[in-house]
Amino acid sequence: MHELVEFAIEKAQEMEASYAEARFEEKNGTEIIMKNGNPEGLGILADRGIGIRVLVDGGMGFASTNVLTKESVSEAVKKAVKLAKAAAKIRNKPIQFSEESFHQVSYEVKMKKDFRDISAEEKMDYLKLIEEKVKETGVTTPMRFLRYGDFMWHKIFMNNEGALVESLIPRVSVTYNLVVFEEGQMEQAPFVQRAFSGGLELIEKDQPWEWAAKDVKALQKLIKEGQKPPEGKVDVVISPEVAGIAVHESVGHPYELDRIMGREAAQAGESFVKPEMLGERIGSEVVTVVEDPTVPNSWGFYLYDDEGVKARPRYLIRNGIINEFLMNREYASYLDLKSNAAARALNYNREPIVRMANTYLAPGDHSFEELIEDVKLGVYMVSFNEWNIDDRRFQQRYIGREAYLIENGEIKHPVRKPILEITTKGLWSSVDAVGKEIEFYPGTCGKGEPGQGVPVWMGGAPARLREVVLRR
Amino acid sequence: MMFEVNELILKKAKELGFGDVVVLAHEQNRRQVRFANNEIIVAKNWHTQKVELFAEYEKRVASTTLAALDENTIEKTLQMLMKSVKNLAPKEDYYGIAEGPFKYKDIPETFDKAIVELDEPNEYVEVAINAALEEGAERVAGVLYTDHNKLYLTTSNGVEAFDAGTGIEISVRAFIGDEESGHGTNSVRILKEFDPESAGRKAGEIAKLATNPIQGEAGTFDVVFDPLAFANLLSYMSFMTSAFTVEAGFSFLVGKLGQKVANEKVSLKDVGNMPNAYGTRKFDDEGVPTRETKIIENGILKTYLLNTSFARKYKTETTANAGLLMPEAWNIYLEAGDYSKDEIFGEVKHGIYITNVWYTRFQNYVTGDFSTIPRDGAFLIENGEIVKPIRNIRVSDNFQHILENIAALGKDLYHVHWWEVTTPVFTPYVLVKNVGITKATK
Repeated sequence: MHELVEFAIEKAQEMEASYAEARFEEKNGTEIIMKNGNPEGLGILADRGIGIRVLVDGGMGFASTNVLTKESVSEAVKKAVKLAKAAAKIRNKPIQFSEESFHQVSYEVKMKKDFRDISAEEKMDYLKLIEEKVKETGVTTPMRFLRYGDFMWHKIFMNNEGALVESLIPRVSVTYNLVVFEEGQMEQAPFVQRAFSGGLELIEKDQPWEWAAKDVKALQKLIKEGQKPPEGKVDVVISPEVAGIAVHESVGHPYELDRIMGREAAQAGESFVKPEMLGERIGSEVVTVVEDPTVPNSWGFYLYDDEGVKARPRYLIRNGIINEFLMNREYASYLDLKSNAAARALNYNREPIVRMANTYLAPGDHSFEELIEDVKLGVYMVSFNEWNIDDRRFQQRYIGREAYLIENGEIKHPVRKPILEITTKGLWSSVDAVGKEIEFYPGTCGKGEPGQGVPVWMGGAPARLREVVLRR
Repeated sequence: MMFEVNELILKKAKELGFGDVVVLAHEQNRRQVRFANNEIIVAKNWHTQKVELFAEYEKRVASTTLAALDENTIEKTLQMLMKSVKNLAPKEDYYGIAEGPFKYKDIPETFDKAIVELDEPNEYVEVAINAALEEGAERVAGVLYTDHNKLYLTTSNGVEAFDAGTGIEISVRAFIGDEESGHGTNSVRILKEFDPESAGRKAGEIAKLATNPIQGEAGTFDVVFDPLAFANLLSYMSFMTSAFTVEAGFSFLVGKLGQKVANEKVSLKDVGNMPNAYGTRKFDDEGVPTRETKIIENGILKTYLLNTSFARKYKTETTANAGLLMPEAWNIYLEAGDYSKDEIFGEVKHGIYITNVWYTRFQNYVTGDFSTIPRDGAFLIENGEIVKPIRNIRVSDNFQHILENIAALGKDLYHVHWWEVTTPVFTPYVLVKNVGITKATK
């Protein structure tokens, strides 16, 4: 396959592309779905192809094909060049890329328990285990949607500036939707996912079936013992899961430089953050937010991005100050900076764009007990269902699924659907303490057109927000 | 040539012992031009040739995609599929695929050679950008697509069917300052119907009208939803009309067949064979000719969307919405009412006009509790007139409540299909009474 990738680069250069990259991608895997105890079917994922991106006269063209012959690849290169040339005519200034040093490198995430050696029925046993564990709780759970997924993601990236990066990253995940029906009431844990880069040993260690049992028990308790949450100005302690969605939505996204500069304006939107806000305060001293693709076994894992740039941790907020944006080569160059390896593509047929990988609220110095103990009246939000944020990433809302009252430093009964609806600056300025222990939760981050839902982790330490308005 | 490959796959699958087999080959040529800040940021071309395979062995169901079509790959894939599926537990509620063959009618306005032969669509992008700028926009962003698709379907129940379709569409968002924007779209199947200028003009007009917005207030308001905004809600609703999502706990329509789920003014259909609609196809994934299906009629839930297996399970007829695993809507169609746009606004004493929304999310799919965020212009209405633009609000309500509170439907339908509205929707302007509006509090 290397030969075909190299052929694409050579062909593009012959056709006077000033920049050319080719990316071969291959995904092979398994999907198993079970609905209400019935195996819905087995899906075998087998997908591969080549994407070519070029710059010609300052315009950008991209073409992909899944017909892996020289003729077809040559045709794709021709199309990419032609499109780039035509696009160049409707530009105010030429597209530029930052200068980077490139590597010829190959890397692989090893599996202890390789899913390619395991039969479909053994994989289905993971889902059956969820069925059993949920049943054992005795909680009435009439609707159950379960999904197991694994795939090996193989990539070969090459450009005309000396990069050659080959990677083999296996990914495994289990997802569930569980609807609890008790005492005439429905509560739901929708699209809960456990997901990793690596082998099945990670699923077995994590035990999604225990998460599922815990979830239905918590929903039953919510139905039986849940009360209205307090309203008005109270303290809110957010768990790593809630901190995770908050850093993803209100820190990660608005710090994507392509979005800041308007490239995604018609789809994912723009950003309240502007380039000149680097160095400005956005949160309290204790808030540090890190974006790190290199976290081992993470759902968002990579060591080189899809422009061949070596990945490193990015400190988006350091001690409350806006410190760094997420950048690819194009947008880094407009600020005279270097890329920080945020370019990701979902597949061979997608262009690499600025994305998150694993975003987290960095740990502070409080134990969990210390976060809770001097809260007079508040809510501990453990998990959330509904969430959303405007397309400038300034006003967001998270509604608790599992949440508890905190009274005089103690965690009490469950509370129903506490609503935190707050601005980004309001949220991060209210944090007065951050816990020591971090956890990660998987998600699929959406951006780009056509959509590119890429795997990410979100998480971090729990945090305490002082005097925020809670609604019900 | 593709039918020969399909036949070969079918033959080999039967030889291996599979029962129901569906082979669906696609050939896709798609082009995209993306623009932002009044310039083209990237232009793309996709050429995809793939074969989707569904195969059943004694109620055990498997599917895969064949990216390479040589005999060796086909044999190896089928063998692997059989090996994987053989020892699985059966899907007890699997009831088979449709009995063919069927007769298909040509659907007008779904194929246009002029789109296939269109060399260079950039002039349409310039037309849209310029229309928005003329209306007062400063920055214009968006996307244009051209599509040319071919489908070849072969099944073990006697179906051999072919369909070819084209399309061209544009989505335009215009900005003035940081918080003033508007959006317009246009999606058609034949070139002479294409109107990129109208999309650009609408985006520009709304952006201009949205200048200097004030913070909106929380409360309960009568809301006029622009077709773009209501299409978003209907697109999510279409997902919830599938029998699969109903069973899986992703729908507020569960257990409500034959019940009132909407105001009696509301009739909602799926129309798979609609001329000039972006989701139209001649047949579904098991070869049944697509048709019109009344999902909600005068407020009563009539059916979920079904394939043959679900239909047999529920002892009824398929609605021709296969998806073999999950039935899916083709084009969601909300029947028009008899109000002009002005008459709809005239019904509102004190309310809000929402031109677009995004990020619709659910606290509970089964109860339908959700929120969605207005983006682009949103406006206060006083005595039927738009009086000022507002910003930073959220629609926080319940799907069924929204349907029950529909008070007026416009008489003109608009076809909406864009990044946020993935199932094509036909909808008029819609007035909904007593909609919950919230805002951020710190």
